Amino acid sequence: MESEQQPILRFNHVSKTFAVKDKLAAGHTVLSDLSITLYPGMVVGLLGQNGAGKSTLMRCALGIIDIDQGDILTLGETPAALSIQAKERIGYVPQQPFGYEGFTIDKALELHRSFYPNWDMTLEQDWLERFDLDVTQAVQKLSVGQRQSLALIMAMAYRPSLLLLDEPVASLDPIARRKFMSDLFDLALDSGSAVLFSSHITSDLERVASHVALIKKGQLVLFKEIDALREEVKLLSINDGTTLPSSYKILSQTGLNMLVDTQGDSAVITGVQSAKAVNLEQLFMELHR
Amino acid sequence: MLELLNVNPSSGEPIYRQLHDQIVRLIVGGQLHPEDVLPSVRQLAEHLAVNPMTVSRAMQQLVDQGWVERRRGQPSRVAARTSANSASGSSLLAPQLSELVEQARQLGVDYDQLQRLLAQYWDKE
Repeated sequence: MESEQQPILRFNHVSKTFAVKDKLAAGHTVLSDLSITLYPGMVVGLLGQNGAGKSTLMRCALGIIDIDQGDILTLGETPAALSIQAKERIGYVPQQPFGYEGFTIDKALELHRSFYPNWDMTLEQDWLERFDLDVTQAVQKLSVGQRQSLALIMAMAYRPSLLLLDEPVASLDPIARRKFMSDLFDLALDSGSAVLFSSHITSDLERVASHVALIKKGQLVLFKEIDALREEVKLLSINDGTTLPSSYKILSQTGLNMLVDTQGDSAVITGVQSAKAVNLEQLFMELHR
Repeated sequence: MLELLNVNPSSGEPIYRQLHDQIVRLIVGGQLHPEDVLPSVRQLAEHLAVNPMTVSRAMQQLVDQGWVERRRGQPSRVAARTSANSASGSSLLAPQLSELVEQARQLGVDYDQLQRLLAQYWDKE
């Protein structure tokens, strides 16, 4: 999957602080020394509380927000100066879909597809039907779920190499979400795209993600291949005074319960009463105690 | 055959491993026979609603271990039983037995009691 290929997205020690009105007060650090690289074929599930920095991360990748430290390469280019060719290969679904108010769906799509030479009309037709969208409807009058469906069509019909999805299915019902996942595999993985997918619906991420990135207060506290996570991250219950191997990375601790990344060290340790695997929801809870 | 398979993505256990283990069990248990055609990676991924890479990984492991055969231009099939890929039902029960014994000890159930319980449950069928 990796090294021989060019990264689709690379964050290198990126920091971003938003200034506050009181010039003497410290600003609000939204991203802190964040480094992450996405290669073709990766579907990275982005987890984090609201305000942890997920949306900011995506906006920085797109050049919508400038960063204060570090550097970002999006499809090999600087976000602030993305070429048209790069833009034609990026798909973005923001948390609150916007744009094209005042248009009907068909007019909005007509304008939108004019920006993308690789637009797949069959896909557009299929999805309009599947999402049950009436093209004569005004975009402004659509429900949240319908807006979201339209946003998905607009971001994916040209098979972008980099897909940034910010809670793209939060308003879709389970059936629609399943179908979306299936399309994600067909479209994205077949064409060697990379996907960054932020979602609170951990059960979706468990199915779809190849990697998991967890952001807490602007920092990347965990970035792991999902199966490695399932095999190596454990919730331990230990006896007082137990020494854990130095190979273990302690992710969080409450009394004698610890969440650790064994990093592949599978030796049985005396003093560890129990070691349980965690799913993404449990992982999230443990890291935010 | 698809109806026989199902995984729990939120269990904390790698999905590829769940799928692999299920297919091995179906083969050892006789629900799948040598030469039986297996669904494609795509079909399986669609049915289970999981990332096709996960299914690929399970399939690769099955091929590497000799449970499944790939043939050029044809769907994958269950391999003929050889000494390489024969496992008995007994060996597949090992994890559950280990867990059962541990639980019994924790709960203070001794070996004789456990034997009686086992007989009781067996007769319930």
